[in-house]
Amino acid sequence: MTLPIALIMSGCSGDGGNGGGGNGDDNTLTVWAWDPAFNIYAMQEAEKVYQQDHPDFKLDIVETPWDDLQTKLTTLAQSQEFSELPDIFLMQNNAFQKNVINYPDLFSEATDAADFSQFGKAVTDYSTIDGVNYGVPFDAGTAIGAYRTDVLEEAGYTVDDFTDITWDDFLTKSQDVLAKTGKPLLSGQAGSADTIMMMLQSAGASLFDADGNPTIADNDALKASIDMYAQLVKAGVFTEVNSWDEYIGTFVNDAVAGTINGVWISGSIQTATDQSGKWAVTNLPKLDIAGATNYSANGGSSWAISSNANVDLASDFLKSTFAGSTELYDTILPSSGAVANWIPAGDSDVYNEPVDFFGGQAIYADVVAFGADVPSNNTGAYYYEARDAVSAAITKIIGGANADEALAEAQSTVEFAMG
Amino acid sequence: MTRRLRDVPGYLFLGIFTIFSLLPLYFMAVSATNTSQDVLASRLIPGGEFFNNVAKLFSSQDVGAAMLSSFLIAAGTTVLALIVCSIAGYGFEVYHSRGKDIMMGVLLLAIMIPFAATMIPLFQVFAKLGLVNSLFAVIIPAISTPLLILLFRQSSRAFPSEILEAARVDGLNEVSIFARIYVPTMRATFAAAGVITFMTAWNNYLWPRVILIKNEVQTMPMLIVNLSAGYVTDYGVLMLAVLLASLPTVIVFLLLQRSFAEGITGAIK
Amino acid sequence: MTALTATPEKASGERGKKSPRRDDRKWLGTDRRHNLTGWAFLLPAAILILLVSFVPMIQAFFLSLQTGRGTRLDWADPLWYNYTRLMGDEIFKQTLGKTFIYLIIQVPIMLMMALILANVLNNPRLKWKAFWRTAIFLPAAVSLVAYSLVFRTMFANDGFVNDFLAGFGVAPVNWLGDPTTAKAVLIVGLLWRWTGFNMIFFLAGLQNIDRSTIEAARMDGANGFQVFWRVTVPQLRPIILLTAIMSTNGTLQLFDESWALTRGGPAYATMSMSHYLYEVSFQRNPNFGYGAALAYVILILVAILAFIQLKVGDKRD
Repeated sequence: MTLPIALIMSGCSGDGGNGGGGNGDDNTLTVWAWDPAFNIYAMQEAEKVYQQDHPDFKLDIVETPWDDLQTKLTTLAQSQEFSELPDIFLMQNNAFQKNVINYPDLFSEATDAADFSQFGKAVTDYSTIDGVNYGVPFDAGTAIGAYRTDVLEEAGYTVDDFTDITWDDFLTKSQDVLAKTGKPLLSGQAGSADTIMMMLQSAGASLFDADGNPTIADNDALKASIDMYAQLVKAGVFTEVNSWDEYIGTFVNDAVAGTINGVWISGSIQTATDQSGKWAVTNLPKLDIAGATNYSANGGSSWAISSNANVDLASDFLKSTFAGSTELYDTILPSSGAVANWIPAGDSDVYNEPVDFFGGQAIYADVVAFGADVPSNNTGAYYYEARDAVSAAITKIIGGANADEALAEAQSTVEFAMG
Repeated sequence: MTRRLRDVPGYLFLGIFTIFSLLPLYFMAVSATNTSQDVLASRLIPGGEFFNNVAKLFSSQDVGAAMLSSFLIAAGTTVLALIVCSIAGYGFEVYHSRGKDIMMGVLLLAIMIPFAATMIPLFQVFAKLGLVNSLFAVIIPAISTPLLILLFRQSSRAFPSEILEAARVDGLNEVSIFARIYVPTMRATFAAAGVITFMTAWNNYLWPRVILIKNEVQTMPMLIVNLSAGYVTDYGVLMLAVLLASLPTVIVFLLLQRSFAEGITGAIK
Repeated sequence: MTALTATPEKASGERGKKSPRRDDRKWLGTDRRHNLTGWAFLLPAAILILLVSFVPMIQAFFLSLQTGRGTRLDWADPLWYNYTRLMGDEIFKQTLGKTFIYLIIQVPIMLMMALILANVLNNPRLKWKAFWRTAIFLPAAVSLVAYSLVFRTMFANDGFVNDFLAGFGVAPVNWLGDPTTAKAVLIVGLLWRWTGFNMIFFLAGLQNIDRSTIEAARMDGANGFQVFWRVTVPQLRPIILLTAIMSTNGTLQLFDESWALTRGGPAYATMSMSHYLYEVSFQRNPNFGYGAALAYVILILVAILAFIQLKVGDKRD
């Protein structure tokens, strides 16, 4: 009994020292990513695509939740143990700046991993620091407005009535829908800055300026966003819930008739199998200020190449797949809903196929088109601090506090954190 | 009659607390048989999705490997911790001295610092030793816990000195006294310590997730977090995984509970 | 201090009421050879703790005297800069307050309940003991992710608890959205999860108490409560001290529930100090020097409380 156990334990420790990338085998790349149904699935398909021309190629994918991944990266960087890094890892777009600025030793430049002109600028900007590209964009966080067509119809509207509109217009119409059907059109987590950040980005504004200074107080776009959000909540057309699972539950269980989020939310929407055929997708309403657009993004991630990587192989792999293969994107789209950031992919037929769940709309082609119009935003190294501060401010403002004061407080919280 | 009446408040208290304890667990168990949608709707009635969820769980994650990993870590930690900490607690109490009291206080300091602060220096050490991805790396920091030592020390207060004297008079050496007299007498404490250590080691998450990088060695808690880390979470499958993960601790508890809960005070006499 | 004695009758007669006399030790245990043997017994444990905990702790202390982001760390100027910065950190002060609220409210209730439960379960006439024990222990065996999900769902705006209350005509409460009730949910969660855990220690401790002392007291006419309070509890004192220290330590270092159950929300209303530490180090722009300073403040707080408890409660007679 003890012998096999001892073998297992020592077997595990045996490869401890070089568990990361760049070890011996020149044809294998290690990848850290999360979500087997989405990111990992895409990687597995990419492996197959690359193997057509490189039959000896292999990928060793390690499933690592984002939170763990960030912790591991930080730990490895702080303890200077770079040999444990994989070749490629996935990284949330919002975290790119923070990681590259603080831990440049974790990364290799990704300049040869793609033709970056084939991606929307907004999305490559996340992983571009000092003019150098560090990431190949993968998962589009392009924002969509998804609504229940049957509920809209009951109130006498179609999804076109919610396309290319302003938020004021949205407020009026959704109140009408609420009155006639009893269903709010939106929901979200209370105290979460997601919705407001999407609004902010749609107006081309950010929480930081180009030099990295916080622009939370005296930010007209931010004030307008929060103001509109408060109005939506007060009018009852935006239901606030207290956790992520509850949020998903609201539209999956028919309490709410729509949502605005990154396109990846469509996966969760589709778990409500009884609602198939009753949804449609469009763009976002725009704010009533200068520079406002109907397009935004939330989340999304990009592939980074580590400092411990077989850079040539990794770059070539990424360039031939995520930045070069329409076949890849065609394959992964139908099963996982992974929409490409890579613009040429959107031209393919698969993207133009109607999706039954969304009433036959070719939502993916639409989303790729949206993606091209998303304004950039500045994240910087203190993005999470700023988001948290804004979230706290939002909670206070909804609770009745004065907006200018709350935002000024948020700004000073961030300045403290930066100090 | 009065005897039984006296017991009623006890039963009542137990009953209320038991309902309080079991209700969320019931929800968990039922959720493992429902679809994700139903779980989110707080459905309290069992559904027919159990086998579906099982299939989805086993096809998306390597449950067997994770269970094995967790089991080896928990069992290894428990056995070693029981040995190391019991002799330490025994040493502190039976050979009590002022110096040892101070030492106990000093060792207690070690539990008072949040793990997040010592995690990185600890990682550096293990990385330099080449022990990343090793189950030993998870076990070693957990073997010697001041709290477990404190448990044995405090429990040893009830270990009577007369037995000690008598044993010495009989010519037993110190180690034999420990092994042949102390251990059987303190069975309740060992059992309790065993359950607690197993459970803590099994549910440990912060350290394994840093030192175990490969999927083959990941533990059950890590597997569970994997399930909730995607864009779409299947809550039914998640609950099923949690049920499975809770089973070993429950089994260990069931095996050991008579030892720490039902009178063996006769042994002391 | 009673006189040294080794006579059997006196020993067994008094043994029930007091813990074994310790001045015997001077004669038996702390003479040189035995003293050294004692140190030998605790050597393995002590060395392990030294290597695995103290070395990193010292490194963390030096870290707390440094400033900078990521790996670009330099000695702070002045050295205690991080500590003074802490004093001005609004969020830290909030987390400090919240954590103490959890400590003061939750720990006494939990320990009291665990003690009562263990005592009830120790009654030889009680039926279905194994069932009650298992049922009360089970919450402790469940993983954190699950129980936070279950609690969040149960306390959701349209969740089970509100549905249940609606049956009594009570309006739905925004449990997790209101700062006060969110704290309450967290405390309920802590009670649910950890009472059974502490109950185990008391159960084990009760086994080491001689039942004859309880019977003797009963025969002297004491009722249940008096027996409990005057006979059982004093003999359980060492274990009570243990659980008090463990719970104080656990609550002041609370992380799991704040992180998984409420995410520190709404707006930092339930965030604990350890959770904030983790955020500062791993989720925000990494400021490890500051995080280490935070850790040391927590350590100092726990140490003070633990040593007060040891001083007050750790009696040998």
